[in-house]
Amino acid sequence: MSLYVLEGLRPWVIQRVSAVYIALFILYAAWCFFSADAIAFEAWREWLYYPFNTTVVGIFVIALLFHAWIGMRDVVLDYVHNIMLRIFILSLLVGVLIGSGLWVFRILLLSVVGQ
Amino acid sequence: MMDDQAGRFKVGRAMSDHRPVYLNLLKIRLPVPGIVSFAHRITGVLLFLALPYAVYLLDLSIESAQSFEQVRQSLDQPFMLLLQIVLLWSIAHHFFAGIRFLLIDAEIGVEKTSMRTGAWLVILAELVSIVLIVIGVCS
Repeated sequence: MSLYVLEGLRPWVIQRVSAVYIALFILYAAWCFFSADAIAFEAWREWLYYPFNTTVVGIFVIALLFHAWIGMRDVVLDYVHNIMLRIFILSLLVGVLIGSGLWVFRILLLSVVGQ
Repeated sequence: MMDDQAGRFKVGRAMSDHRPVYLNLLKIRLPVPGIVSFAHRITGVLLFLALPYAVYLLDLSIESAQSFEQVRQSLDQPFMLLLQIVLLWSIAHHFFAGIRFLLIDAEIGVEKTSMRTGAWLVILAELVSIVLIVIGVCS
């Protein structure tokens, strides 16, 4: 299979760069969680819809989608050798990832639109 | 030449008769770095599978005060507590093992002994975090 997206150094680099961003985000999110006064609806909503947090969550989701795509793609390429089955599973992965991503962006954008 | 071929065939057969025809998982001794590496893969797949459900819970939690309470109550059910422990453990493992792989990529600790030390450090960090996770989730 010589599809461009399946080869080269580029995925390897994206995997590492996204990993660093995800790790930093996890530390930030954990710090916010443990320093919060209370875990309640209003506070949670305020946190997510605070512009800085909306932005870093948005970038986190993009990083996560690339990271998950490359990771799952490697797993599929290692264990699934039938080309048709491979294409089917990879398409399914893309669908799940893009679907999840768009769903999160809908949630984040609702804060800007103000529901 | 025919004999030669037959002879080789015989040797080949004799050798292949002693090869294991199945993999006994209990007899395979994977070195610690191998375990950490494989667990990194398993936890990655687990986290991917949880992704759509996590987004669904995110949506519910932000929609209204009622649905936020709904999420909170559903997370308190025994099965969901177990799921949270497994997924938080997955994040912890993926986090620590991931940092280890990044350091190895940067050619830090590539020698055999430090590879092993690094793998043990990951397991140690993970054991500490799983204790904290279980305490945090169940309290």
